[in-house]
Amino acid sequence: MSWSSRVRTVRRSRTPRRPAKGTRRPTKTLVALCLAWLLLGTAVTACSTGGPEPVTLRVLASSELADMAPLLDDLREETGIKLEMEYRGTVDAGDALASGSYRHDLAWLSSDRSFQLKRKAAGDHGEPPLATSIMRSPVVIGLKPATAERLRRTTPDGQISWADVADAAADGSLRFGMADPRHANSGLAALVGVATAAADTGGVLRPQDVSCDRLRGFFAGHRLAEDTSAGLVDGFVKDRNNLEALITYESELLALNASGKLREPLEIVYPKDGMVLSDYPLLLLDPARRAAYDTLVEWLKSGPVQKKIMDRTLRRPIDPAVPRLPRLSRPIGNALYFPDDQKVVDRLLADYGDPRRDRSARVIFLLDFSGSMRGERIARLRAVFDGLSGADDSRSGKFVRFYRGESLTVMRFGGRVLDERSVTYESPRDLDRLRGFVASDGFGTSTAIWSALDHAYDTAAFEVRERPGRAVSIVMMTDGENNAGIDLDTFVRRYRARPPEARAVRTYTVRYGEADTGELDRAARTTGGRMADATVQSLLSAFKEIRGCHQ
Amino acid sequence: MGGRPAVEEPWLDIRRPSSPWWRRRDFLVVFLPLLAAVLTGATLLGVQGKILLPFERIVTLEGKMASKRDYFEDPEVQRLLLKHRIRVHISSSGSREVAVQDISKYDFVFPSGQPAGDLITTQRADTKVYRPFVSPIVLPTYRAYAETLEDAGIATPQRRIGPGLPLYYVLDMEKFLTAIERRQRWNELGIRDHGTSNGNRILVQSSDVCDSNSAGTYLGLVAFTWHGKEDEVPDTDQQADARARAIKPLLEQGMAGSDVFRTYISPEGTGIAPVVVAYEHQYLTYQAQYRAKWGKLDTDRVLLYPSKQFVTQPQLIALNEEGDRLGELVTRDPELRQRAMELGFRILDPAGEVASDQLSTFLEERHIPVPSMEGDNTRSSMPRLRYLERMISIVGGCPAVDIPDVQPLPAKPPSAAAAPGVPE
Repeated sequence: MSWSSRVRTVRRSRTPRRPAKGTRRPTKTLVALCLAWLLLGTAVTACSTGGPEPVTLRVLASSELADMAPLLDDLREETGIKLEMEYRGTVDAGDALASGSYRHDLAWLSSDRSFQLKRKAAGDHGEPPLATSIMRSPVVIGLKPATAERLRRTTPDGQISWADVADAAADGSLRFGMADPRHANSGLAALVGVATAAADTGGVLRPQDVSCDRLRGFFAGHRLAEDTSAGLVDGFVKDRNNLEALITYESELLALNASGKLREPLEIVYPKDGMVLSDYPLLLLDPARRAAYDTLVEWLKSGPVQKKIMDRTLRRPIDPAVPRLPRLSRPIGNALYFPDDQKVVDRLLADYGDPRRDRSARVIFLLDFSGSMRGERIARLRAVFDGLSGADDSRSGKFVRFYRGESLTVMRFGGRVLDERSVTYESPRDLDRLRGFVASDGFGTSTAIWSALDHAYDTAAFEVRERPGRAVSIVMMTDGENNAGIDLDTFVRRYRARPPEARAVRTYTVRYGEADTGELDRAARTTGGRMADATVQSLLSAFKEIRGCHQ
Repeated sequence: MGGRPAVEEPWLDIRRPSSPWWRRRDFLVVFLPLLAAVLTGATLLGVQGKILLPFERIVTLEGKMASKRDYFEDPEVQRLLLKHRIRVHISSSGSREVAVQDISKYDFVFPSGQPAGDLITTQRADTKVYRPFVSPIVLPTYRAYAETLEDAGIATPQRRIGPGLPLYYVLDMEKFLTAIERRQRWNELGIRDHGTSNGNRILVQSSDVCDSNSAGTYLGLVAFTWHGKEDEVPDTDQQADARARAIKPLLEQGMAGSDVFRTYISPEGTGIAPVVVAYEHQYLTYQAQYRAKWGKLDTDRVLLYPSKQFVTQPQLIALNEEGDRLGELVTRDPELRQRAMELGFRILDPAGEVASDQLSTFLEERHIPVPSMEGDNTRSSMPRLRYLERMISIVGGCPAVDIPDVQPLPAKPPSAAAAPGVPE
């Protein structure tokens, strides 16, 4: 509060209508007392009639901050500051701010990362709005107790990770709700968290870490998406019999558990491989409101208010000294880094942003069944399909395994395509059938690599024509050189003559045994794909390296 | 408020609308004794520096600063300044921000380190510089992390006096950076043997390098430890750019958090900010407060002292006469100097040398182990500003401020000519 406003307050109290004669003395005594108090420089407000000078601030706020409403009444009473909140999804609010023309005095977001990224991407290097973090909450996983128990049994140390959740989502045994990352901060934080865990570099996501889509299995379990975290909780309660997990703020999960809306509370899991936090910064958009902003921040960060925030919203105080509630005393695990590159976030949103996209991809596996593959090599290839069917319990294996709804085609070839069989993974039996395709023992005598790939493109072209919008890719594995059928140049010529939607299907090649590096690399690059080399790593690793690469 | 350094106390204003009734006897009977009592009380309080005497001009100074707001936000410092009729209104921002943005509306700025200070003084001739104290850059961490580094031969406990677990470690920067460069993870380094788990790469978290002095200092430290000897400083733009690109992967932390030290001392710190860049005084103040509250030290939070040191030297840059008066006070007033020391700063004596004995005594009185000051001998100057700026802009992805290639001002400890309070 500025001095001038104090003066105004006092004056107002001193210029009442002339009091009637008989009441004059008490008034004068009061005035005298007030002046005396004034000289002490304290209790100025005691002399005014209506508390502190009211100030109204217009705030663009994240929708989840609606739960602060009861505290805002206290704020008004204690400081005279009234906040006029306009609620928006955090990501949308960040977009609105990134334009640089502010229509509010303040912004209060669950996170300003999205805004900061866009500011940076837009080349805005001016003075950023003053920002002060007010509280924190990690985005974590609420699991039904039975699901948590089942997942825990599959882990070596009893600690559940994002990888375990992705594995269960891929095999259809875990269906979850998560907010739309294009609008809600909790969705974006969850997406960055799970993508960071899938990349498994131990560091911040870089563009090269998100070039392939490793989260298709995870998102196969994504059954409920809402634009706000409040809508998400409501949706979960409504559809609780068909969902096993809810991914959102710790504070929302604790509040849901305390609400009595669920028959049994969700178990809150802090994933072993880390989580992303939100820190609820308050941003000063109009520098002219600095004085009120300072008062507001001071009030929000004061010990008693921090405690009240924690008690009412179950977010963690930013004040290190406020003792945490028992429910908030559990270690939250390790924080994952948030990328400072808009390209990374854009890539993630393009892959997973739209909850209503066609999620079921088709992969055509073009597998070399020429004579040289007999014996150990074919055994390894069969092990690859076992691994991708769920037997590989490494962290990466859990992320890139086959998932419900995925369509898988196996084309075996030698001097010609020997057979071509497809399944869509709906139940474990479908994966048994798929493994049966690669278990067959018919081998060809020659190797017609480019004729086989040309044939695969016929199939792919039909597929994309019948079902536009579906992701289709080809994975070709060979251990030898082309010695039958068309040559690479002919294949490339035919490929280039195909319609655009067929050319958009990429081929990823797996080099094994004595295969020709140069040709496999060239063929893959021609289609926009790339080669994985199984002579410098295991065959399974090579297949995993290109799993999910489709663009 | 920037254009209004002096504020007339408001009650003078209030008395203006006079009306005859207040001169009447019955009013004065009530009012005069009260006035007398109040004035007596106010005078007493005023003498103690608790409040201002009425009718006295109080000057509100506008200052812009980063981490050194800890000093001006301290209630005791505020009380002492009020005795000298000064109130300080702080605008927070990163130190580099302090330097690269418009400061014309301030009475003084107080960047946390020399590079940002130099940036201002090379651009403005009409400034006076005060250097009241210094504080080394340190890497606060948790015991499990320090012991993991010790097991790996990367850190060693400081030689210490007295019983108890070591609080201070010396970090071999070259080995540490090598581990970071190999993208080793804490789990790979064996942190699970120390009761915790972390799948993240070894990394030090700092505030945004584009606007924080501590982050910029850490960058300088990394730049001169990695791929070269300390004296191998880049002295062309090309060298600076190449060095920046070489060290960028060692500093990749994604979007930086703000106020990483506060995050570090929070109950969630061990998961969110296990190793951070901070100033020694922040940690020492924390331990003093912890001790006062709990009657013991926080032995879980420990300090890594980088084997190569840059002492950071906050510079109070006065932009007008009132700022000048403040600069004089913080460098010369015995009570303010005492308080700075109590806040964990290594205050500079009139000769510009670190008065370390005073800090030692203060810490000993509070049963806080005294960190070894040995490192002071191996400290080096920060790089030339122009090259540090280029490296910051490449690593942080912020626009570079073009700075003429001038020699940096004398490094600490300041020579007699650059003693505290002596204008430069």
